Amino acid sequence: MVARLLLVPVLMVAAAFLIKGYLDVGDGFGAGVIAALGVLLQYLAFGRAAVERVLPVRHAPKLAVGGLLVALAVAFVPALGGRAPLEHAPAPGAEVIHLGSLELLTAVAFDVGVFALVLGMVVATIHLIASTVDERGERP
Amino acid sequence: MRSIGSAAAAGVAAVALAVVGAVAVLAVWRSGGAGFDVAWLPSWGARLAFRLDGLGALYGLLATGIGVATFTYATAYLPRHLEHEERPQAEGGRFHALMALFMVAMVGLATAQDLLLLFVFWDLTAIASYLLIGYDRQRREARLSALMALLVTGVSAVLLLIGLLVLRAEFGTTSIPALLERAQGGGAVTLAGALIAVGALAKSAQVPLHFWLPRAMAAPTPVSAYLHSAAMVAAGVFMLSRLHPLLATSRPLLDGLLVVGLVSMAVGGLLALGADHLKRLLAYSTIAQYGYVVTMLGVGGASGAAAACFYVLAHALAKSALFMTSGAVTEATGGKALSEVGGLARAMPALAVGSGLAAAGLAALPLTIGFFKDELFFKAAAERGTWLAVLAVASAALTFAYITRFWTGIFLGDLRRPVRALPGRLVVPVVVLGGLVLAGGLVVAPFAALSEAAAQVTAAAPVAVAAAYHLDFRAENVMALAAYALGLVLVAGRPALAGVLAGFARLGRRAGPERAYVAGLAALNRLSNAIHDVELRDLRTRVVAVLVPAGALVGVGVAVTPFEGAYLVGSFSRGDLPLVVALAACALAALVVTRLRRHLALALGLSGVGFSLAVAYELLGAPDVALIAVVIETLFMLLFVAVFALLPRAVLRRESRLAVAGTRRFRDPVVGVISGVLVLLVVWAALSRPTPTDASADRQLELAGAAHGKDVVTVILADFRGLDTLVEVTVVVVALLGVAALLRRGKLW
Repeated sequence: MVARLLLVPVLMVAAAFLIKGYLDVGDGFGAGVIAALGVLLQYLAFGRAAVERVLPVRHAPKLAVGGLLVALAVAFVPALGGRAPLEHAPAPGAEVIHLGSLELLTAVAFDVGVFALVLGMVVATIHLIASTVDERGERP
Repeated sequence: MRSIGSAAAAGVAAVALAVVGAVAVLAVWRSGGAGFDVAWLPSWGARLAFRLDGLGALYGLLATGIGVATFTYATAYLPRHLEHEERPQAEGGRFHALMALFMVAMVGLATAQDLLLLFVFWDLTAIASYLLIGYDRQRREARLSALMALLVTGVSAVLLLIGLLVLRAEFGTTSIPALLERAQGGGAVTLAGALIAVGALAKSAQVPLHFWLPRAMAAPTPVSAYLHSAAMVAAGVFMLSRLHPLLATSRPLLDGLLVVGLVSMAVGGLLALGADHLKRLLAYSTIAQYGYVVTMLGVGGASGAAAACFYVLAHALAKSALFMTSGAVTEATGGKALSEVGGLARAMPALAVGSGLAAAGLAALPLTIGFFKDELFFKAAAERGTWLAVLAVASAALTFAYITRFWTGIFLGDLRRPVRALPGRLVVPVVVLGGLVLAGGLVVAPFAALSEAAAQVTAAAPVAVAAAYHLDFRAENVMALAAYALGLVLVAGRPALAGVLAGFARLGRRAGPERAYVAGLAALNRLSNAIHDVELRDLRTRVVAVLVPAGALVGVGVAVTPFEGAYLVGSFSRGDLPLVVALAACALAALVVTRLRRHLALALGLSGVGFSLAVAYELLGAPDVALIAVVIETLFMLLFVAVFALLPRAVLRRESRLAVAGTRRFRDPVVGVISGVLVLLVVWAALSRPTPTDASADRQLELAGAAHGKDVVTVILADFRGLDTLVEVTVVVVALLGVAALLRRGKLW
């Protein structure tokens, strides 16, 4: 029960780390790992079958690849316009739109890509290991 | 049905791409050439510079034009091939995609104006060729042949790269036009030229690195018709042509090319005359024909460049048609060798005419484009000297003889096997190319103009390709007549020579360079196994194999660094107490780990080390690092436990009780303690001498504000060193693929 209750707060913390990353401690990588830990906790508490029935974890590989694509897009779309790769917008000194402590920056989008990638990668790895354990059945 | 459709669609798309490419190359060339040039690696001075000049137009048109013919042929050939090989039709898509990739790489190579680009496309052709030659991957022979082609052309490509880098170091630029402008002789240029020549000659299958080409005939026929007539092997002489003004600064280098070309002409010609297998005969012929081109490049000058460029064009048209003929014949009759086929002229008249024209072109008969290729060749040879003229006539006679034997062997004589009807697309490309060979013999001007433009780039001087019929007894005509006569004598006398030719081929197998390749590969394998045995026998040995060399290097570093002021004991205040406690806990956990035997306890102990360190980070004022350390430690511990669940419990129990073998009992602790002490010394010394105010850290703190961030660590990760992060996260995805491959045979879910 505790595990189930914990999932949402864990994801909240991860989201906070992600959003506040540019202003405070934390970044996409850490947020991704924390969110993945939340999912891992569910696996430990309820077993693979139950988790994969309830949570949309089967999209994890897509999430990982999607995250990579976001990061790549942020990095190389500026290059199409003749600017340096990973040249972030808005430029230094320009006005930034704030939504609470979230800043709308391409750098934050890059971080979101990293977050998605890390979360997807870890969840997919957990699934791969867990399903291999299940497949081999009860151990002697 | 759908998958058959998609493979066929891929074939059609490849043909369409080739048509578009050919039209585009032709249009751009006719309109005077064009190109573009954008920054690529500014710190290297490398640019994405492409330009379609005369030479680029010649090779680009060959790649796309012959591409149209062979890709069309492949759309009919491949479904039948896959059926013979009992493979699903859907795998055809991969083939067409690889052929198209090869074409793109060739066009890129032909138009690249930067040394590094040149190398990138060069290697791309090698990779595509590896995958294409090994397309029948269920066959051992195909795999070994593909590997041989890759190793011979790939290892020599490293020499090429070294040569290109020497040029860059010598002239300070990677731009080819700038390079050729500054071209002047010298030791470094000669060295670079020699390295480049080795790479190029291996690609063009010149003696002694020719042996991969006959082996590569294990590839499906369209691959041979494309790669081994007009593209892959042409890339070698293209490279020599592109950098010819540099090579021409050194007479010995050109003489070397001349010798290699002449030997290749002789070896390839003799092997072709003795060969029985259809495709291998053509492969030997390719070795000889590119020998002509290399010889002409070795002669150099205006006439040499003209002959070389025209020769490449004429040969590619004819040879591609002949390769496709051999594939069509094998499809129709099942025969793969001259001794298995014959008398097909009546059953396949269109193929006989088309390939007859191509064969006549290769044999340099009048009214075909081939006549002019030999005319220019003889002219350049005669200008160089009588001895070369004699050798030229001799090898032209060899060509005449083996190509006559090839065509008459297939189409004349008695019909030996029943003939199946062929789809039109297996015949039409041969007829079209044969028609082009004939057209070039009647109206040579367009072909001459194309090779003239290419030759001007090669020679870096105005060149006139004077291809015309002259009804008089000038040297070229006399030499051509002599070659025909000698060729007829060879055809007639071949039965008498059969023993000699077979002996020559046997000698090549016994003592040829292929033996050296096989022996070298076996020796490398043995060496690799030996190192593998030493290093990877078990995990501990592997760790020792890393620690000992690293420790030795660190030890040398410690020994040569002055000791003065290096190992200071700083002051200690009460505020440092928590930090000391955290570090002591870390050290204690590390010590405990060395005594633990059970796997779960080991994992817990290791994470104890990690958590103590995380506390230390936090105390040192690095909350970002501490956060990551905590979550990663947690994750790793859980993953450890999960992986232990994968291993049979009995194995874990047995492993944890296993006594450490005698010698390792002492070896491991000694190695561990020594490397630990050395690390301590290095860290101690480094911390005793703080670097005089790290300016970059201050600057990054300052800039973080400008990047709209307050957490400098995140700003560094996402902005300042964003490219590093990008590469690292890409590696993460690759690691996921690795996990999937190990655990679930590549299934991600």
